[in-house]
Amino acid sequence: MIPMVIALAIFFVTYVMIMTEYINKMTAALLGGFLVVVFGIVDQGKAFAAVDWNVIFMLIGMMLVMGVMKQTGIFQYIAIKTAKLANAKPLNIMLMMFVVTAFVSAFLDNVTTVMILVPIAMLIANELKITPVPFIITMAIASNIGGTATMIGDPPNILIGSATDYNFIDFLVSLTPVIVIITISSLGITYLLYRKGMKVSNENRARLMDFREDNLISNRKLMHRSLIVVGLMLTAFVLQGQLHLEASTIAMVAGLTLLIFNNRKKVEDVMAHDIDWATIFFFTGLFMIVESLIETGIIDMVSRQILTISGSDLKLTSIVILWFSGIFSAVVDNVPFVTTMIPLIKNIGTHYSVEAMHPVWWSLSLGACLGGNGTLIGASANIVSVGIAHKNGVSIKFKDFTKIGAIYTLNSLVISTIYIVLRYF
Amino acid sequence: MQLASFLNAQDIYVEHRILTKMQVYESLVERICHHHKLPICGKKLLDMVIKRDEEATTAYNSGISIPHIRMEGFQDTVVAMVFLQNPIEIDGIKVSWVVLIITDISSSKLYLNMVAALLRISKDEDIMRLLTSAHDGHGVLHHLRTMGVDIKKDLAIGDIMISNPVSIKPHQTLKELGLIMNENGFSVIPVADDNNNFVGEVSLLNFLKVGVPDYLMMLDNLNFLQSFEPLENLFEKQETVKVQDIMQRNEVYLAPSASIIEAVFVMITHNKRQLPIVQDSKLVGVITAMDIFRKVIQA
Repeated sequence: MIPMVIALAIFFVTYVMIMTEYINKMTAALLGGFLVVVFGIVDQGKAFAAVDWNVIFMLIGMMLVMGVMKQTGIFQYIAIKTAKLANAKPLNIMLMMFVVTAFVSAFLDNVTTVMILVPIAMLIANELKITPVPFIITMAIASNIGGTATMIGDPPNILIGSATDYNFIDFLVSLTPVIVIITISSLGITYLLYRKGMKVSNENRARLMDFREDNLISNRKLMHRSLIVVGLMLTAFVLQGQLHLEASTIAMVAGLTLLIFNNRKKVEDVMAHDIDWATIFFFTGLFMIVESLIETGIIDMVSRQILTISGSDLKLTSIVILWFSGIFSAVVDNVPFVTTMIPLIKNIGTHYSVEAMHPVWWSLSLGACLGGNGTLIGASANIVSVGIAHKNGVSIKFKDFTKIGAIYTLNSLVISTIYIVLRYF
Repeated sequence: MQLASFLNAQDIYVEHRILTKMQVYESLVERICHHHKLPICGKKLLDMVIKRDEEATTAYNSGISIPHIRMEGFQDTVVAMVFLQNPIEIDGIKVSWVVLIITDISSSKLYLNMVAALLRISKDEDIMRLLTSAHDGHGVLHHLRTMGVDIKKDLAIGDIMISNPVSIKPHQTLKELGLIMNENGFSVIPVADDNNNFVGEVSLLNFLKVGVPDYLMMLDNLNFLQSFEPLENLFEKQETVKVQDIMQRNEVYLAPSASIIEAVFVMITHNKRQLPIVQDSKLVGVITAMDIFRKVIQA
């Protein structure tokens, strides 16, 4: 009983720290992870063994891939090309940027996506002499939606993919269709929200059309090689079932290959700047804390409780998880949430067949990823986008973001609910 | 070690005539060659002095000029000095005391200490008044001995810095900053408040950054942009943006007592070519890498 209380106390204090960012979230998670060892709730060996190395190396591998891909300038090239294709008409640019952001985010981490694309959007808005605020908000939202589409797009999906037997194809088959529907309906919302009021003079339009985006691809050789490696990586993900390789191995091999193709002297640069060690250690700490909940039987207890309440009705369970995750993720980082939910759902799964559990897992992913759009603080991509705006003297307040974000989130969660019910029950 | 111990009375004299810089050098060389046996002397030595003078300025703001000649195989240090009653101009500085120092190729340390001592003297009005009132070398040596001027102290940044540097106040505008930079050709200017308390530094790049928003800085390259209005229209902001909005606060700085090696170390580690010199939180000078190069390394 006492270990349970201590484990819960550490868990909640850590959660509050992460939520309020009273101390840095990586520090909070790692400290929590080691405190469960200090109090003897989990011995060190078990705590370390709880770290999901598949997730850790998946993250590192994708960061390596991104670090090199970023240097090719291809994403910014696509963004500017898109704006030109939209004929510099603000609403069209916004709609096309939404699609580009969602698409890029499906393969890159959401935060990286907005860090690459939001500055370009701000530049375009500046040249067109229109406010960048709608661009920034909708792009953050698009990155969270797009990231849900694939196994590699958003950390919750990486976590779920690693903890279950689902491979890249399973994610593609189960999540991508609903994300496409959500993206299309989100474009409709964007159209309705912003169809009025953005006028651009011919002179300013000409400034944008004058961008020489071809210059952005400075190292064509590196770009071609990167695209080939990424293509091979995606193929390997698709063939995961046949290859019998874990996602992390594929991502690491791709990342290391790109590192070799890249400038040799830049290896240390990539290691220092492109690998987000704080995130890696954040995950590590979380795994250790959650292990203490498993070890003390708390997870087991809660999962039994859920089954009792839902009357063993998996349809109800799925919908509850979808909306609970959605609302919870709107105010809290979704990574610690999903890390905690995974052993819980695994536990529930022991009472059912693998097929029966499909809707439950996908509900967790959809809720946790899409819920991030609910408020300004719901997802890192939101915070980072608004932070970029703020640094440039553009203020986006909590309520400015939230009143837009909530509309998209509601839309996403309703569509997800319909999708889960229609497809799986 | 007393400075006077390194000097001979016959190498020190007072010049009453109105002479050109060249004539001053000639008489110094003549005197030093007359009393000492040097590996190189006469016309050759004079050429070396002139060449040294052309390479980099030998004059210091306090009105002393210290030409330095290194001679291969000369295992000694000799010094000749002249007090000019009619100052000559060297690189825009009125010089009334010229000290010719001849050392071996390798004897840097003694030379630098000697320069430090000479610079300290040249800045001390009381000692200078005594020295210039002397009639000949014996008088000068006598004063130096009684004042106890020694050369144990190592050369410090305060000895070679530019004192009372051009500075700007935090509430001044970009326009004023632009004028000062343009006028003096400085790209870095220390910022001090109304009481001359050191606040920070402002550079030309800080200035230009006003026209380059943060989001542009996040891009890896800008080769796709042909022009950028905010940068070209920077002058629109000149009246409204203040120095305090763009300056770097609490920049690295040194005390006048800092050593040469410390200054060089700080310059290299912070990748800065100019450092403000601060004493009791007041801005008292600046030191540039070029000052150190010219006055210490190349000297």
